[in-house]
Amino acid sequence: MTFGTWALFPGCLVLQRMPQYEKATVRVLRELDIRLENIPHAACCGAPLESFTDRWVDLAAYNLALAEQMGRDVVTLCGNCANTLSRAKIAMGDSELRPQVDEKLETLGLHFSGAATVKHLVWLLREHLDELASKVSRGLSLRVAVTHPCQALRPGVVMDFDDPVQPQAMRRLVELTGAEVIDYGAETECCGSTLFLANQELGLEAGRRKLDSATDADVLVDACGNCQLLLERFQGLLVQDSERGRTAVLTLPQLLGLALGAEADELGIGPTAAETLLLQRAA
Amino acid sequence: MSGSRLDSLLQDCTRCGMCREVCIVEKLGAHSITSFLCGEEDYSAWLCSSCWLCQEVCPCGVDIQAVMMEKRREEKAPTGHRQNFVNVLRFGYALPVDDSVNEVRRFHGLEEMQLIPNEWLDTLLDASECRESVE
Repeated sequence: MTFGTWALFPGCLVLQRMPQYEKATVRVLRELDIRLENIPHAACCGAPLESFTDRWVDLAAYNLALAEQMGRDVVTLCGNCANTLSRAKIAMGDSELRPQVDEKLETLGLHFSGAATVKHLVWLLREHLDELASKVSRGLSLRVAVTHPCQALRPGVVMDFDDPVQPQAMRRLVELTGAEVIDYGAETECCGSTLFLANQELGLEAGRRKLDSATDADVLVDACGNCQLLLERFQGLLVQDSERGRTAVLTLPQLLGLALGAEADELGIGPTAAETLLLQRAA
Repeated sequence: MSGSRLDSLLQDCTRCGMCREVCIVEKLGAHSITSFLCGEEDYSAWLCSSCWLCQEVCPCGVDIQAVMMEKRREEKAPTGHRQNFVNVLRFGYALPVDDSVNEVRRFHGLEEMQLIPNEWLDTLLDASECRESVE
């Protein structure tokens, strides 16, 4: 069965720092006969501009207009991109702002109609829960702590796909691998990645709270470039003075891919100590 | 101007404090926009993890994000946020994304990415006007 082709919006973090997340996404969606196409000439979602200028909407609408031109809906890998692009569709309903943006897009030969749907990867995967479950070929006997992509869930009135305060989609997706989803105190707390931009110590402290709270897990699973940045890439900074070893952190499609029988290198899972341990446990 | 917009955004706020109760910044002992909403003066509108939980739990439907954006424009932006903004003007992304990403993409078997042409970025963002808003 063909579920179609989506325009992929990886966002800056995934594009520049974590192609492994994109690679695993492509691999897992291939199992569902979902193809991803790059959006030629795509740019930032607009989020980093919002605190300074209303021009953030122009950038978001530009990306959406590019996807419309391709005739595709958009799937994002970062919570922040999903959030910003979705809110921009609403902002484009503003009768004062809209003509200014339309004019610029027209200069570039583009048109925004709002036709492109925006979904975060977790949403797209959840729509294929049963099919994914039927394709599991390697049950994972792991204890997993999930961390939810906050900005893909809230504001609930805009994002509208899961319980915005007690989200369940990530849990259901991890459970289908055979893994046990553990309860931990900081499950629904933010990773601190955006906070890190304003105050590094506070951002790291937020990440530390999550890792300290999830010590019963074999692996922590996220679905956002921001979470992956703080909890995985910055983990060395988080645990500097700690006696505790490194916590394995994977993105959701990397974990799903393992359960679907994909090899570690197809999922961008490298040979670090924690990941090797994980593969031994998963075998 | 900003005052009246802020007043209108705040008119439904009852200072109940639910936003502050769920805020990760407050849990870490610092003070975010939720402290401002509770009438405090010791806070920074930039101390935020963008998790949107405060707005989700607000029983009065206050657009806390909009309040925060108004208040941010009154404060000097932290270096990290300013750098991301400047990167967007220069590279089209918050990080310095250039053609070298395609080498890495090829290594991972990913399709090459066509980046936004500089002149398109200037058209979209009125670069000089935008630069003023960050300075």
